[in-house]
Amino acid sequence: MNANGEPIVDVKNLTVGYGDHVVLRDINFQVRSGEVFIIVGRSGSGKSTLLKHLIGLYPPISGEVWIEGKNLITADRKERQHLLRQFGVLYQSGALFGSMTVLENVRLPLDEFTDLPDLARDLVALSKLKLVGLSGAEHSMPSELSGGMQKRAAMARAMAMDPRILFLDEPSVGLDPITSAGLDQLIKELSGYFGITFVIVTHELDSIYAVGSRVIMVDDETQTIIAEGSPAELRDKSADPRVRSFFHRKSTPDQLAGETVPA
Amino acid sequence: MQALDQPENAVAIQLRPEAGGHVSLALKGRLDINSTAVCWRELDKRLHPLKVKTLDVDASHLDFSGGIGIALLRYLSEGGMTPGAQVSIRGLSRELEKLLSTFTTEDFRAYQPHKPANVRIPEEIGASIKSLLQDLREQVAFIGSVVVALPPAIVRPRRMRWGEVRRIIETAGANALPVIGIFSFLVGLVLALEGTKPLAQFGAQLYIADVIGFSSIRDTGPLVTAVMLAGRSGSAFAAELGTMKVNEELDALTTMGLSPVRFLVVQRIVGALILTPLLTLYAMVMGILGGVMLMRFQGFPPMMIYHQIIERVHMGDLFVGLGKALVFGIIIGGVGCLRGLQTKEGPQAVGVSTTRSVVASILLVIVANTLFSAAQYVITP
Repeated sequence: MNANGEPIVDVKNLTVGYGDHVVLRDINFQVRSGEVFIIVGRSGSGKSTLLKHLIGLYPPISGEVWIEGKNLITADRKERQHLLRQFGVLYQSGALFGSMTVLENVRLPLDEFTDLPDLARDLVALSKLKLVGLSGAEHSMPSELSGGMQKRAAMARAMAMDPRILFLDEPSVGLDPITSAGLDQLIKELSGYFGITFVIVTHELDSIYAVGSRVIMVDDETQTIIAEGSPAELRDKSADPRVRSFFHRKSTPDQLAGETVPA
Repeated sequence: MQALDQPENAVAIQLRPEAGGHVSLALKGRLDINSTAVCWRELDKRLHPLKVKTLDVDASHLDFSGGIGIALLRYLSEGGMTPGAQVSIRGLSRELEKLLSTFTTEDFRAYQPHKPANVRIPEEIGASIKSLLQDLREQVAFIGSVVVALPPAIVRPRRMRWGEVRRIIETAGANALPVIGIFSFLVGLVLALEGTKPLAQFGAQLYIADVIGFSSIRDTGPLVTAVMLAGRSGSAFAAELGTMKVNEELDALTTMGLSPVRFLVVQRIVGALILTPLLTLYAMVMGILGGVMLMRFQGFPPMMIYHQIIERVHMGDLFVGLGKALVFGIIIGGVGCLRGLQTKEGPQAVGVSTTRSVVASILLVIVANTLFSAAQYVITP
């Protein structure tokens, strides 16, 4: 990884939720350029909600989200459009447009926002599909693909514009272990070769260890970040039973009772 | 097309044509989404007129934002801009070489722009007939399963999910009262308005009461209700069941040993059967009120209008109207549910089912109404 220390996403005192219902409060963290930043937590802990606020899909209850030194929340329309083009998003369900072929889905941002020649758009879209292992499926409709293939096509669409930041919501869900490992490899390559920053919401410990440079864990009871560090640090050094139970695949903190807790 | 912001760092292009058709190309700068588009067009423009036999690309001073620049190099290396030329690219780091090799020559050549398949008319006709017959078969099977599932629900009402029926009557019936009321009232008013002038020529304006009485009770009342229900509730049935089909909820019911027809369809058809006559009765009253209001504006006393309607319109007419309503209710409930159950895969499927439900319901209602009128014409002396 080539994280260079410069914060590309800066979250300040962010409180997120729906209406008056607070899910997470006073969240603060920074994502450095080029790093693979992972957000973990139990089901229902607010990981996806946090991600949706980071990408400006929902307005926060309070706080700020700065992307590349610009406040996404208060940005005017033009600035916001510019910021939105700096990142790609992979949604949990894939969210491919059902009325378009896979190729048209990947081409869509290139058609809308670039001046590339027609053939070039096809080639770029095809090369992205090749990267996610979907060669040959370019003329298929999304409904003709399996869930895992849809996810990979959506990943290709998220990467279409060579974004500087990729937000991935549960990228491994619905993928077989081999494809999932391939996706991890792709994340490492994109991060390594091009310095693309990743913000990933996931449960998959294998992925976290394989690609994660830094992890935060959010908790629904305290509604805060309860741990921050590298995956190995959280696994080996955290004294918090919630963190340990997550990273040691134990169903409850009680099951860790007999284990030695690091000082 | 909405152009991106202007490229901050355009890629510098150094093109040196040499003797014997050899061309050296050096690229310097960052190939990102903006600069690649400019560079691609510029190279295409400058390389195309040259008769290039060998092209040597120096990429050692290139920086990449991602795969877009790599796609340009692949296009160059495959002779996309220099057909027939031998192309070599040098100066790429080992990692980028690897990335370039992921989109191989074979991938590049295998790609064919998508051409829609030629449509053959006999094939199309055959496919349409096949799909029509398939649809007919499904309709017969559906009617059969509803006929089988309905009697037990009536014989053993405790097994019926009355809560669901109540919800359907509330959403499809009670909530539809305002819109059906306004619709019927205005139709009654317009009927009276249109009838006034022709009847006035014979000094027979009083007979407007006959027109609105007959039409509201025998035709417009049931038809207005049916059209509104088809658009409002039949479509909702199709959408509800269609969404359940897409979400595999129907499969879940089936694997639990529950019949979707008994569990979901019967409630909707019973709901439609109960509420259609009630709503029709309401539409009849509102339609008559619309006409009566116009007659009152013309100065007819209320009692005169009342007696004229009572004298002309008989209980038999009311039964015809309510009989139609029952048939329309079965059609709307049945078609809505059938189309919902027929929903296919994909995000557009529910929308397609909803549309098919509304179109088929209204068409069948009009056909049934015509058959009613024809039958009555034949039967009545």
